[in-house]
Amino acid sequence: MIKVKKLSDGIFEVIKDKKQLATKNLDPGRIVYGEKLIPVEGIEYRTWDPRRSKLGAMILKKFNIPLKADSKVLYLGAASGTTVSHVSDIVSEGAVYAVEFAPRSMRDLIRLASRRKNIYPILADAGKPESYSHLVEPVDLIFQDVAQPNQAEIAARNAARFLKKDGNLMLSIKARSIDTAANPKEVFKAEVKKLKQAFEPKFEILNAKDLKPYHEDHLGILAKLK
Amino acid sequence: MKINTWFGVLETNTAGEILESRLLPKNIREIALNSLSLRDSRLNLPPEGFDLKAAALKSGFVESPAEYYSILHEVALEAAKLQVSGALTPDQRIIQAVEALDDINETSNALSERLSEWYGGYFPEIGLSGEDLALFIIKYGSRENVGPEDPLYSKASTSMGAKLEPADEALLKGFAENVRGLYERRRQLEAYIENSMELVAPNLKLIAGPMLGARLISLAGSLEKLAEFPSSTIQVIGANKALFKHLRARAPSPKHGIIYNHPLINTAPWWVRGKIARAVASKISLAARMDFYSRGIDPSIAEKLEAKVSQIRALNPTPSLKRQEIEAKPKKRRRR
Repeated sequence: MIKVKKLSDGIFEVIKDKKQLATKNLDPGRIVYGEKLIPVEGIEYRTWDPRRSKLGAMILKKFNIPLKADSKVLYLGAASGTTVSHVSDIVSEGAVYAVEFAPRSMRDLIRLASRRKNIYPILADAGKPESYSHLVEPVDLIFQDVAQPNQAEIAARNAARFLKKDGNLMLSIKARSIDTAANPKEVFKAEVKKLKQAFEPKFEILNAKDLKPYHEDHLGILAKLK
Repeated sequence: MKINTWFGVLETNTAGEILESRLLPKNIREIALNSLSLRDSRLNLPPEGFDLKAAALKSGFVESPAEYYSILHEVALEAAKLQVSGALTPDQRIIQAVEALDDINETSNALSERLSEWYGGYFPEIGLSGEDLALFIIKYGSRENVGPEDPLYSKASTSMGAKLEPADEALLKGFAENVRGLYERRRQLEAYIENSMELVAPNLKLIAGPMLGARLISLAGSLEKLAEFPSSTIQVIGANKALFKHLRARAPSPKHGIIYNHPLINTAPWWVRGKIARAVASKISLAARMDFYSRGIDPSIAEKLEAKVSQIRALNPTPSLKRQEIEAKPKKRRRR
């Protein structure tokens, strides 16, 4: 007997032997990165591995996920589209603007986007939002997973251009990509402080948690505009 | 105020109302190319929080949100595809070749070892390995086929090895063919890298040699990145583990990374290797910059490097005392 529990809009927990995070598959019958498909009463669920996705880990860490079926999302650091595919499942009537800088990853992302109409792939540097400002509309959520030393600044610059007044920012901070030598806790503290006051616009932190045991030395943050 | 959008140019008044619009025709490729050209122009950016979709509806570019998203989806895909196909630059091909070469080396070593182990049961005295062994097996198969004209004839006829059955012989011959093919592919790749380096980075090839130069490009990610690195980084590329140990704890800094393979460094006495590595790295950096930014070949870089290295060697004929003392007392305190 398979049970399905709704965790938040578009996000589910499928209980079959063990609990598994899942989304409704927008592209039925197809998998993206080796995940499992579980059909329950005519609906196909796609399992979501929190170890391969910062957003997945944040859901299991009880973050409030500000996504609805018609949300518009700007996803910075889309990589090959593992997490993007789940966001695309969640915002089935919305849009995901997926920004990625590496041509190699973009190859996989293009494959994904050609099957999913709500993904808009953009090959650009997330640190230069001007280079895609002619493409992206105001969004409800900016999700950022870029592993750059200046990620707080990148978040602020993108939020200034694209985030709606009542929108949210979610980001994962990788301590090792900011300072390889420093203590991760100190790095997190400094980065949170930067988000709060260093740049325009300033953010109010709603939730910040370490993503252990899913990701080492990563901090998940949910914020809104101050 | 003028605003560049992916679907055209808009003219708005201070209240944000659209006064005039020059819309692009609904040709996906044309719009995608235009979108790519807007990437680098910082002129007439949409103001912060500008609602592109609303403007597209108001200006009459599309009739419904659904149409807006459908066209934008195709345009984004087309633009990304154009960018990806333009991304395979010659230096990227060198990187693929270097990585393929590493894979082939690893595979050919493992397979030759297997072949040697296997065939050893039938002819343990053979004393050949690698490509020579593969060629021998392809030529003769069983040692019984070795004729008196072959220098290995006497060893073959008195060998303590087992008799090679026809089924095993066929298998081993096929196996040997594969091994030989790998060695051939390796030579082909090396020639390819050498030729490509001459075209893409002639100065780097001159200073570092074709293989080391190609490896540096591969580790840096591209010729552009290598040209942007400071020479201190070039000096330690490939010594990541030692470098991070140095940054985190009180380990000594690495003297050289992959550039250790440079003949000027690995033939130098140990006490000047660090100094020479620094000199080599600085000239490699210069060469990479020349290759990426200006092109043309400058043989004087190599001459200056030679001069610098002989100067370092002349100034340091013996290890310095201070250094020996430091090495005698390793620092144990750790930071953090």
